[in-house]
Amino acid sequence: MVSSNGVTGVLGEDGIHVDMNHLKSGEVNNSELSPVAAHFEIPLTKNSMAINFKDGVILGADSRTTTGAYIANRVTDKLTQVHDTIWCCRSGSAADTQAVADIVSYHLNMYGVVNNEAPSTQVAASLFQELCYENKDALRFDNPNWQDPMKVLKLMHLQTVPVYSIPLGGSLHKQPFAIGGSGSTYIYGYTDAHWREQMTEQEGIDFVRSALQEAIKWDGSSGGVIRLVVLTKKGAVRHLYLPDTNYTGPGVTN
Amino acid sequence: MTMLLNHASHGDGIGYSFAQPTAAPVQQHSFYPYTDNGGSTLGITGSDFAILAGDTRSTSGYNINSRMAPKVFKIGGDDETGEGAQIVLSVVGFAADGNALKERLDNIVKMYKYKHGKPMSVSACAQRLSTILYEKRFFPITYTRFWEGKGALYSYDPVGSYEREQCRAAGAASSLITPFLDNQVNFKNQYVPGSGEGHALEPKKAEPLSRSTAEGLVRDAFTSAVERHIEVGDYLQLVTITKDGIEEAFQPLKKD
Amino acid sequence: MPGFDFSNYNRNAALHAKGVPLPKATSTGTTIVGCIYDKGVVIAADTRATVGPIVADKNCEKLHYIAPKIWCAGAGTAADTEFTTALISSNIELHSLSTGRDPRVITCMTMLKQHLFRYQGHIGAYLVVAGVDPTGVGLYTVHAHGSTDKLPYVTMGSGSLAAMSVFESTWQPDLDREGAISLCAEAIKAGIFNDLGSGSNVDVCVIEKDKPTQLLRNYEKPNPRGEKERNYRFPKGTTAWLNQRVISKEDMKKYVTIETLSGDGNLAVGEQMDVDV
Repeated sequence: MVSSNGVTGVLGEDGIHVDMNHLKSGEVNNSELSPVAAHFEIPLTKNSMAINFKDGVILGADSRTTTGAYIANRVTDKLTQVHDTIWCCRSGSAADTQAVADIVSYHLNMYGVVNNEAPSTQVAASLFQELCYENKDALRFDNPNWQDPMKVLKLMHLQTVPVYSIPLGGSLHKQPFAIGGSGSTYIYGYTDAHWREQMTEQEGIDFVRSALQEAIKWDGSSGGVIRLVVLTKKGAVRHLYLPDTNYTGPGVTN
Repeated sequence: MTMLLNHASHGDGIGYSFAQPTAAPVQQHSFYPYTDNGGSTLGITGSDFAILAGDTRSTSGYNINSRMAPKVFKIGGDDETGEGAQIVLSVVGFAADGNALKERLDNIVKMYKYKHGKPMSVSACAQRLSTILYEKRFFPITYTRFWEGKGALYSYDPVGSYEREQCRAAGAASSLITPFLDNQVNFKNQYVPGSGEGHALEPKKAEPLSRSTAEGLVRDAFTSAVERHIEVGDYLQLVTITKDGIEEAFQPLKKD
Repeated sequence: MPGFDFSNYNRNAALHAKGVPLPKATSTGTTIVGCIYDKGVVIAADTRATVGPIVADKNCEKLHYIAPKIWCAGAGTAADTEFTTALISSNIELHSLSTGRDPRVITCMTMLKQHLFRYQGHIGAYLVVAGVDPTGVGLYTVHAHGSTDKLPYVTMGSGSLAAMSVFESTWQPDLDREGAISLCAEAIKAGIFNDLGSGSNVDVCVIEKDKPTQLLRNYEKPNPRGEKERNYRFPKGTTAWLNQRVISKEDMKKYVTIETLSGDGNLAVGEQMDVDV
């Protein structure tokens, strides 16, 4: 209900309505803030994952960005390069994760120039951790009751082949594989059951792709295409899997 | 007109007062089925006619529910087309309540004719509507409604306070149309040129309007309201009641 | 930059907690869109500005200049879109002067997102940034919280859903200049007619490599004001007055320079304003 003083609200619990009101009024600090509206932003909920395999690591993510129920971007690229061989998957608030990735990218490039040596994945992971930990109040502030409070940034590097995940609080976890985002809750069982050490590249690709396919199937906030980045000694190779072909192709795209 | 219902949280932003501090903020979630469907209505009477007009747009928030949802209803007609009716009702605010109210009043007027063998008089119907609104306290979350016949126009508040008037604007754009009516129907702030010096001028006297003048004012009021109020538009429904019966006409308004 | 003074914001928030309504800002409850084509990019906007349900301006400009070949469409709080684009425009020009290069769209987008992110969404500017630079064609959306997207066609504002429905149903990858312009105009019209926050006219801006940027102000006017039925000119002497003082032109000349213009109908004004008579 729109009352005469322009305050919109009554349907507050409905994420759709509240967010659209914000788009419409264009005002974040209108009166009568409802809980969700106060924290309006573009989150990349969804789903992202990273694994390591015999010869490298694979990152994967769906491509959906939402504001409430509206899909703001259906072909988002959540796999972000922060240095020559270091990539991350972003999930959580788009504004926050883009800002963090931009800052890390800046520091890593600076590190490369100053030390005349490429930064290690651990350096990148530490940078991410420090930013997330030191700014946890600000980063948390903007999505305290979002359905997906996990801001997970996963990093990988082809030489050392570790996978790191950084949840919102700023802790750092080194793991053989990591999943995050709203869709990840649906595939903890799947990934646990199908993960094996020393997979081949093709096995790894199939593992990530089918896990994401499962997450997209069950999670309403995940969807669109599946993007992968396969990092090996040869470099980064992008893959694309479309819903039109039931996520079977076209595969390698660069 | 006495406004008995002061719906503070949804009313105009004037006349607020400081709320008493309460205990811990309690958030209550409840089902709230009432919405404001926007739109505006306007009624003007002359000596031998009455006009009730309204736009036909129905809105919720920034969305348009319908571009053709008339809100001026014929009451007590002989069939579903409203043929033979002498009374017209219009309701603005929450459209579902408006429709329910129309059905109720229509039934009452028809039953009256069936029981008494004569049509209900306009003044009796006006009083009956007041009673409906008063007994069903807070039932309709509608703002002002009027209804009328044969040169009579009554306007109501949501709990039944009513008054016979010469003209009245209600609904979303009422605050835009009312001053226009004051100036053009009652000639407020208009003086007779040359009738005195400085402030001691003779006010221009209001006279009964001709039908064509009144219809012109109604059309201009709506085409202007459409310019400045986002919830008003699409079509203008113009209903004129004379001794010969009810004439209804639709004309397009802007659709943006 | 000294930054914002938020002292009244805090006061208002305290008053609001006691039940006083917050002051309203003019919001351009808007439809803005953008679309790339083979050699350039088109952005478009409606021209309605609202305060609550009231139309504050029937023909406002929502396409903002950043650089000769970078333009921005703004939705959200009108003041924020205007000041943010003006600030970035200024910084872009200084940057261009110091580097001696043409400004890039991605530079502009990055400056905008960093500025908006710093203010955590309190600057309510939702923007579509478009332009052509030495690297090619650029088209981005920037949200108030500082997130950005790069897409071949974009929409923002309250009419974004209506406009996006046009793009999602009729967009093709091989558009030419005219195709892109008419597609954007159609998308804006979907917003104008189906979203109450948008209305009036269509503004279009076309940016193409090696061609001057064209701002097609009021490219389409699908909502003309109809003729009024009656005449509302008041006879002279209708208004009462308390006091009268005549100041002659000679008296005025002591203080200001006076030039007499010919004719009473053709007033010399910068931009003719639409006034209802």
